[in-house]
Amino acid sequence: MRQIEGLKAKGFDYLKKITAVDYVDRIEVIYIIYNTESKKEEVVKVELDLNSPSIASVMHIYRAADWYERELQEMFGIKIEGRDAKRLLLEEWNGTDAPLRKSFVWGRDYKRME
Amino acid sequence: MAVMRINVGPIHPSTHGVLRLVVDVDGDSIVNVEPHIGFLHRGVEKLCETRMYMQNPSYFEKLDYISPMSWDDLYVAAVEEAMGAEVKEPAQYARVVLIEFQRIANHLLWIGTLCNDIGQMFTVFMWCFRERAKVLKLLENVTGGRMFYNYMRVGGLQRPLPPDFKERALELTAYLRAKVSEYKDVLDANEVFMERLKGVGVLSRKDAINYGVTGPVLRASGVDEDARKSHPYYVYDKLDFNVVTMSGEDSYSRYKVRYDEIFQSIRIIEQAIDKMPEGDMVGQPIKLIGAPAKQDTVITRRELPKGEGLIYMVPDKQKPFRLSIRAPGFVNLAALPKMCEGAKFADLFAILGSLDIIFGETDR
Repeated sequence: MRQIEGLKAKGFDYLKKITAVDYVDRIEVIYIIYNTESKKEEVVKVELDLNSPSIASVMHIYRAADWYERELQEMFGIKIEGRDAKRLLLEEWNGTDAPLRKSFVWGRDYKRME
Repeated sequence: MAVMRINVGPIHPSTHGVLRLVVDVDGDSIVNVEPHIGFLHRGVEKLCETRMYMQNPSYFEKLDYISPMSWDDLYVAAVEEAMGAEVKEPAQYARVVLIEFQRIANHLLWIGTLCNDIGQMFTVFMWCFRERAKVLKLLENVTGGRMFYNYMRVGGLQRPLPPDFKERALELTAYLRAKVSEYKDVLDANEVFMERLKGVGVLSRKDAINYGVTGPVLRASGVDEDARKSHPYYVYDKLDFNVVTMSGEDSYSRYKVRYDEIFQSIRIIEQAIDKMPEGDMVGQPIKLIGAPAKQDTVITRRELPKGEGLIYMVPDKQKPFRLSIRAPGFVNLAALPKMCEGAKFADLFAILGSLDIIFGETDR
């Protein structure tokens, strides 16, 4: 978080992507941040605990984080601190499953979505 | 006056797919717009984790059915990076030609549908489709498919270009240059067209960067950013072309950027065909595809027609362990509420149309 604020101060003004990877023993959140002047890219990785993952919102730094953070909450069950999204991103989502976690097995668990 | 809430969509001719907009209006002015997406969600990212590397390209083509070749190229480039495979030089030139033709086809369709959205019905639309059909015909002649090509292979292409490809391509670029020039006379001299687009959907340079919009929308706000220049791939650094930027920050600038990009693409194609060396351009057989087990992550970027596409991949032996897609439509649509601030309800579709969104990639 502090690292991202530091990057923003250094001119890294463009947030390209927030995504996450479930490595089974931990979750990693990845921020890809870009500098539109010097054309440089920085990748910031944050490791989270698998059982109750939560991370601070960066929406006040980069407005582009809005939809990505909602997607993280939806797809990985990561709680985003410091903002209460009225609704998540996709329409008609049940909001309890985390489909991009490895514990969610494709072909077995997707039936629960109905 | 009380604020009224209007629902638009999910089925609506001007949303180019299935998008629901909840619009709060005060009289005729928009107070707030909230896009609701997800009607076309297939879970592509999860699906990719269950398939072998070269079973996936057809999913990527369906992400954007207006420019499938570009997405095909992005995915195969990510696999190449994971494997450490080199692309043969003639194939690099061939790919540049094909994805630039795809960009032209995409922009032509967009200009046509934009004109429909803002009430310039059918004339320009039919012209654009006439030209686009010729581009698709050429791509069909090369790949065998009119819409979905599945032509990229690791290290090269599925099969060589047909023997008469160069002549046909140059004939087509000459035709396009002549025909697309005519649009300007019809559109820029058209008062209705200009009035509907000028000063509508303004997104300032600062907001464009903060909201993270990409592609022609970002360049129309005056930011000189193009992955073909800032992260050169294939042979783009050997070709001479300009990044089109406009400082108007409105819907008209977005039209102008895409319109001028068609001519830049024609320039790129003609140079690439001129410089294309003879030689083998066929890629590896599908059976052999697999990445080394221990691998770091792979980040691949490509300038797609709609903006910068990015794949973040954690490769595994036979399948991707995790594959994350940055879709230009997703990031551009997220900025729609900002562009609609203070706009009239009738301008909503002029603004939405100027973004060039497509729901295969937005919902994934």
